[in-house]
Amino acid sequence: MTIKVLLVDDERLIRAGLAAIINAEPDLSVVGEAADGSEVQDAVARTAPDVVLMDVRMPRLDGIQATRRLLAGGGVPPKIIVVTTFENDEYVYDALKAGADGFLLKRTRPEEILQGIRTVVLGESLLFPTAIRTLAAEHAPGAGPDGGADWHDRLTEREADVLRLVARGRSNAEIATELYVSPQTVKTHVGNVLAKLQARDRTQAVILAYETGFISPGA
Amino acid sequence: MFRLLRAVSDRTTWRRWAYLVMGAALLMPFWFLLMVLAGMSPLKGPWIPVVVLLLPIPAAVAVGLIPGIRQVEGTAVKELLGGRLAEMNVPVARSLRARLGTGLWFSLHLHVGVVIGAASLVVPPFAAVLMAFPLIGWGFLGDRRSPLYAWKHSAYQWLGPPAGLACVIALLGLIVVAGRVLTMLAPRFLGPTPEERVVELEEKAAKLAERNRLARELHDSVGHALSVVTLQAGAASRVLDQDPGFAREALTAIEESARAALADLDHVLGLLRDDKARTTPQPTLADLGRLVEQTKLAGIELDHGVDDAVAGVPAAVSREAYRIVQEGLTNALRHAGKVPVTLRITVAGNRLHVVVANPLIGTPSRTRDGGGRGLGGIRERVTVLRGDMTAGPAGGEWRMEVSLPLMSGA
Repeated sequence: MTIKVLLVDDERLIRAGLAAIINAEPDLSVVGEAADGSEVQDAVARTAPDVVLMDVRMPRLDGIQATRRLLAGGGVPPKIIVVTTFENDEYVYDALKAGADGFLLKRTRPEEILQGIRTVVLGESLLFPTAIRTLAAEHAPGAGPDGGADWHDRLTEREADVLRLVARGRSNAEIATELYVSPQTVKTHVGNVLAKLQARDRTQAVILAYETGFISPGA
Repeated sequence: MFRLLRAVSDRTTWRRWAYLVMGAALLMPFWFLLMVLAGMSPLKGPWIPVVVLLLPIPAAVAVGLIPGIRQVEGTAVKELLGGRLAEMNVPVARSLRARLGTGLWFSLHLHVGVVIGAASLVVPPFAAVLMAFPLIGWGFLGDRRSPLYAWKHSAYQWLGPPAGLACVIALLGLIVVAGRVLTMLAPRFLGPTPEERVVELEEKAAKLAERNRLARELHDSVGHALSVVTLQAGAASRVLDQDPGFAREALTAIEESARAALADLDHVLGLLRDDKARTTPQPTLADLGRLVEQTKLAGIELDHGVDDAVAGVPAAVSREAYRIVQEGLTNALRHAGKVPVTLRITVAGNRLHVVVANPLIGTPSRTRDGGGRGLGGIRERVTVLRGDMTAGPAGGEWRMEVSLPLMSGA
């Protein structure tokens, strides 16, 4: 099964570069391109991609708005990876909060771009956990002291442990080894965590955990 | 006494004297005019000379109200008196407050000037006479009606030379003190008024905001172009064999993006640049060898240890670090003299560490009052790079430690 990718960027040369890198892989294929956030919904409806590579700055509708619209659209939305020029761009965190599953820098090496796409689609581990923690530390450093207090009621101790390991970027298999349980059990725990937090995926759960102070990004 | 000698040998003192004498010259027209008027008027009386002396005081204030005088006085003060006013902006006086300040200053300048000018003319010959007093027998001293006759022919005539010397010292002291007092007072009378300061700051802030905006836009556009270049080059090298057509297009795209970015850089940096373009690149830590050589040539025994990992430090950090080391070594030479200096540059935990240390010698006060400037410069660089620094005496040596992060994000 090939992973279907939709490219959204107002710069044709960026799309062309990404398409060349992605299409050269047997398990990946670019199924469509859009030059503005406003075209994303139509393109998704037309091409049913597994993942959208979304530029942040676009002339009419930016990547953050486009992400929100896509996720509000109902159905099963594709995974969304925000693609950006600068790491300490304030928009990156906004996009993650809006529901993007990860982010990639345009200067990332081609093999890492490909790896990032596969990681996000597979959903088995967090993309760039340290970068997300740094962003959270910058944007949500003063999360309330009571923040996440009620989480302890909602999550079992085991689930909380799993969430902390997810935030560190561990995959299900790694978590299983660390907690001496089967990968299947981990999967169930992760599923429960996402359900209880009403998070769409690991990235969203981790962002929430940082935002509420359940996990301190500075730690 | 020693301080007076030092002040007298200082060029500043004599530039200030020139400023004062200039004031005396400027007062002369007032006096001449009043004397002519007094001579023509039918009024007579012993109070006429008093009027001739006193009337120029308000008259000079009135002339000083002319807006342009402030600029003229400001320039003269900056050039000849120096002091804090030299760093201030002194525009043409617009507000009443600025004009009044200038008027008062102008009159003060002229009148202090005339005292100093007159004293400078009269005291030296008078002192010369006194100093030669016991030796000379000029005609008028032989005249019994002369006020000096009794002295000349008394046992106290040896007091002449010391009295003459005292006059000279008094004159020099007066010149030094008058110059200093005026220099100290100048900012109060001629310095920018609060309103002018606000306007000046606003202009500066607007200019900075504009430069900031240009820099940010440049950052965006160059970042964008470099993204295109990186991505296209990465893609081209990956598909070179499968898709040579794409690779060829990619090369063209790379060339054009890079060229456009360079043109943008050229244009915006031209707008941002205040000083003349450098013809030599800024030195980085890679050029440290030359600095070490120069320092050793200056007579400093330098014990230096530099990590090889320093070569991998980002260029922006490397450039600033070089300047920090340079300023640190200069400080050591300036304040401690030719003492052994230890320099350590290491890379650890994503940070660059610089240590400059030298044994503590000499009086601590010298270290304190002069140390500000060089350290301030270093502190500024460290702050811009979001690093940390400590500097001060520690365990018998003066030690400066600087730590700079190597990545802006982390």
